[in-house]
Amino acid sequence: MKINLTHTVWLSLIVLIMSAAVPIIQPSEHLPRLATPHQAFDKMMSVLMHKRCMNCHPSDDRPRQGEDSHVHNFGVQRGKDNHGTLSLRCQTCHQSENNPYSGVPGAPHWGLAPKSMGWQGLSRVAIAKALLDPAKNGDRSLKDIVKHLTEDKLVAWAWNPGVDASGKARETPPVSRQAFIKAVKQWAEAGANIPEK
Amino acid sequence: MKISFTINGKTQTVEADENTPLLWVIRDGLGLKGTKFGCGKAACGACTVQVDGGAVRSCSYAVKFAQGKSITTIEGLSQGKELHPVQQAWVEEIVPQCGYCQPGFMMATAALLDKIPQPSDDDIDENIVNVCRCGTYYRMRKAIHRAAKIKQS
Amino acid sequence: MHRHLRTCGLSLKACLYQSYYKNYPLTRKYDYMKDNNSVNIKSKPRRRFLIKASIGTAVILGAWAGIAPMRRIVAKKINEIDLEYENSYKPITWFEVKADNTIVLHSPKVEMGQGVFTGMAQIAAEELEVSIAQVQVVNAVSLDRPVDKFATGGSTSIAGLWDVLRELAAQMREMLRNSAANIWNVPAESLTIKNGVVTGKGQQLTYGQIVQKTTEWEVPKEVKLKDKKEYKVIGKAIPRIDLKPKVMGEPIFGLDVSMPGMLYGAVVRPDKIDATFKSADTSQAEKMPGVVKVVLEKDFVGVVAKTYVQAHNAKKAIKVQWKVNRVWQQKDIEDMLKVGEGTDFVIQKKGSAKRALREDGVIEASFSTPIGAHAHLEPNGAVALVEKNKATIKISTQVVNMTREEVAKRLELNTNQVEVQATFLGGGFGRRLHTPNAVQAAVLSKAVGKPVHVFFDRQEEFQNDTFRPPTHHVLRATLNKKGLIHAIEHNVSSGDVAFGSPLTPGYAEILAGADFGAWRGGMIQYEAIPNFRAVSWRVKLPFATSWWRSLGLLANTFAIESFIDELALKAGKDPVQFRLAQIQNDERGQRLKGVIEAAAKKANWGKPVPKGRALGFAASTDANTPVAQVAEVSIDNGRIKVHKVTCAIDPGIVVNPDGVRAQCEGAIIMGISASMFEKMEIKDGAVGPTIYGAYEMALMRDAPKEIDVVLLEGSSKPSGVGEPPLGPIGAAIANAVYQLTNQRLRSLPLTLA
Repeated sequence: MKINLTHTVWLSLIVLIMSAAVPIIQPSEHLPRLATPHQAFDKMMSVLMHKRCMNCHPSDDRPRQGEDSHVHNFGVQRGKDNHGTLSLRCQTCHQSENNPYSGVPGAPHWGLAPKSMGWQGLSRVAIAKALLDPAKNGDRSLKDIVKHLTEDKLVAWAWNPGVDASGKARETPPVSRQAFIKAVKQWAEAGANIPEK
Repeated sequence: MKISFTINGKTQTVEADENTPLLWVIRDGLGLKGTKFGCGKAACGACTVQVDGGAVRSCSYAVKFAQGKSITTIEGLSQGKELHPVQQAWVEEIVPQCGYCQPGFMMATAALLDKIPQPSDDDIDENIVNVCRCGTYYRMRKAIHRAAKIKQS
Repeated sequence: MHRHLRTCGLSLKACLYQSYYKNYPLTRKYDYMKDNNSVNIKSKPRRRFLIKASIGTAVILGAWAGIAPMRRIVAKKINEIDLEYENSYKPITWFEVKADNTIVLHSPKVEMGQGVFTGMAQIAAEELEVSIAQVQVVNAVSLDRPVDKFATGGSTSIAGLWDVLRELAAQMREMLRNSAANIWNVPAESLTIKNGVVTGKGQQLTYGQIVQKTTEWEVPKEVKLKDKKEYKVIGKAIPRIDLKPKVMGEPIFGLDVSMPGMLYGAVVRPDKIDATFKSADTSQAEKMPGVVKVVLEKDFVGVVAKTYVQAHNAKKAIKVQWKVNRVWQQKDIEDMLKVGEGTDFVIQKKGSAKRALREDGVIEASFSTPIGAHAHLEPNGAVALVEKNKATIKISTQVVNMTREEVAKRLELNTNQVEVQATFLGGGFGRRLHTPNAVQAAVLSKAVGKPVHVFFDRQEEFQNDTFRPPTHHVLRATLNKKGLIHAIEHNVSSGDVAFGSPLTPGYAEILAGADFGAWRGGMIQYEAIPNFRAVSWRVKLPFATSWWRSLGLLANTFAIESFIDELALKAGKDPVQFRLAQIQNDERGQRLKGVIEAAAKKANWGKPVPKGRALGFAASTDANTPVAQVAEVSIDNGRIKVHKVTCAIDPGIVVNPDGVRAQCEGAIIMGISASMFEKMEIKDGAVGPTIYGAYEMALMRDAPKEIDVVLLEGSSKPSGVGEPPLGPIGAAIANAVYQLTNQRLRSLPLTLA
């Protein structure tokens, strides 16, 4: 217990120093000195519920787009494999990286999360539960989930979302990627508990 | 950088900045003007080509991704003088008006028929989402069904 | 002989040409003809004035008629005029007979999808007695050929060229026949002609051969034009002659033009309205890769680079200071744009509507329509090559002549030193009725001494469009005891359409009194109503508004025909019968009745429709062409869905039934798009959206699966087709929605509560 606490304090300190030294993306962000697993959960969910994540986790068959999360223009649909209809694939327009000329975002395996992982309209508790539910999350273990959240390139895109069609930078999640990764790991290591609210 | 790909059956090597949209390499580099610039934002579909058989909007496709791939443009849709079933159907239904968006639609349709040989109206609505300002959609739908028939026979 | 001719190239083509333009009498020889086997023509053909009514003639009326009523006469004439955009200008055109017996028709009108090349070829082929395959239509080039002095637009091309082309073709046919008669020394009457081959007494000559054997031509004073019964080509659904290049992706558009050594240009355009160019910092741009030159002018800044992408990137690095007079918001525009604001003008008046509408029982409703974008697919652009004392422009434009004059003025050249070559247009819709971007291309070309291609990007297209103006309408009416309209008044407030356009001379504004583009379709067409009145209110908006396919027709018909439906239901009458009962008994009335009855019959009006669906009816008269439409509509998940549209149109003589159908289908779908989806708005001084998708438009899924077009020919001459079928569709849909939901939708785009 004592060791754990010291560990946490040190890690937090390191993160704090790092984020101060490298003012990445979210300068306004300030990390709490003492992040409890609950706070880590808050932080993680503030990212997952951000439009950069939610837009591709719709509960229906329509991707969302933009800062206002409007239904994707042109009636674009999920399709059977979550990568578009048979001939209108996500990759008709979205490639493996952002396109600076068109403003079309891109990342490897660009597509929708499966419908079982549709988060729209769900509370953060329900989203977290779905995240841990092998019946919904594609039979993933907690370790797999942590890996997805912290390493997947499509998830990582949220912090490098490029510009939109008019050349305006897309909004990034409210905490930095490093802080998010840290929070996810901390939450998972602490038992991946989901609070009641 | 140097990028090599096959276009309309011919191997090509081009020298271009790797992020140049494929559209401009096709149009200005290779002089194939059938692929159109409509919006440059992958929104209208006028620049649709096929990359390895799939419909791709070339204005939003960095040329570096074309390395080693096979590209087809409207100029390569027909076999010499013999029209592709989609072009044949387009002629028979007298689809084009101004004609500017039509190559993109025909390329998208050709890709559709490869994936769905007998598309329903819903298949057409879901997969063909290019923009036509003259309003030729009504005839295009008829032409897509006709092309499917020509292709089958 | 043949080979000799072929090797001589141009000089082989003996050209027959005629002109109705007074500055180009037939006897005059052009320099460009000197190398050719020019024809000598013995007699001048008669010249005919085609203008039956025009702003010009009304000036004379004005001298004694007093200004206000005179202006109403002008308004009426403008409303009923055959060649709306013709003033003192005449359409001019000419043919060329080639040695291979094909005919090249140098078109004064441009092809933007409306099918005018095909229609012209049919008209010419008919009187020339050649097959359609023998006719090639190309754009007349401004430098050495007479081009249309005005514009391609207003649904006037076929209507305006109908007489000219037939007479020209018939005269040429007779000239060729006479020449063959002279060669063989037989009476001309004894010769027959088919497919451009003259036959007589067992001998044959093709037109091409006759041209080569002829040095002196005799122009017949009178030629008899064919009767409708004799038509073999006119009236046939011939596939459009530009099909092949359009399905093969041939480089026929302005954007496809390439010249040796061509560079690419980009011009910085404001992203705010009410902004003028002040100054620019070009230092960054000058260092960008591929940049050849940054050109700073007093009114714009542009960059020339080796590739489009380089020009585009360099443009972004130019920092421009704009003088923004005011940061406008949508609400500012809506506050300005109200009936009662700005200047008003009575465009139509019968009986005493004003007095009648002071009585009790007035039914009143107001309607509005948003700013509309052209959203044509081919961006505006031009290729310019400026050399010493010469400029060549290749461009998608609806105004060849105006473009030529503007370039000449800016470069300080004579107009005959500027050649403007029109290409096929990737959509026009009125957006290319002013193409000053040619001037910018020319300035850039002059600066670098090489051909330069400049075109808009899509964001610039949306931001710098010459929009369809927003409108506000107030309609008021009273019903009589029989349940018919006793008095009705339409007030329309609109931004400018014709006014302020370089196509409209200043005197025309003074003469017309009100913007005839804005009020187009705004008159009451049910003239048996005893008292009616239409008023046009002009509001000066802080951004460019101008010609958009059908001009005011779309908005005005939406308002009037929604209101008529409302009145019919208030009166407890069937909307179709209600309309029919109030149509006057003249030719216009008969034709309007004709389309209303035909549309209702074809659509099974009054009979049961599939469950969950309803029919809506509307009609309009525009460019002398009445159109009635029935929309079959359902509500699907809160979304309005148009399943079927029945359209009856009476454009008089139909030159190509398939072409007319195509124009109706296209106009209906464009009208659905504008009525149900499209809307531009102003936020913090900028118009938006600036990209397809965000600017929502009809897609494949939104197009009706059935469009049933009924063609009537209630006149012996053709009238406009390109725009009239855009009129009724918005109201027809809204009227059907009312049947389904009891919601009267009073603004576009139609949105359910």
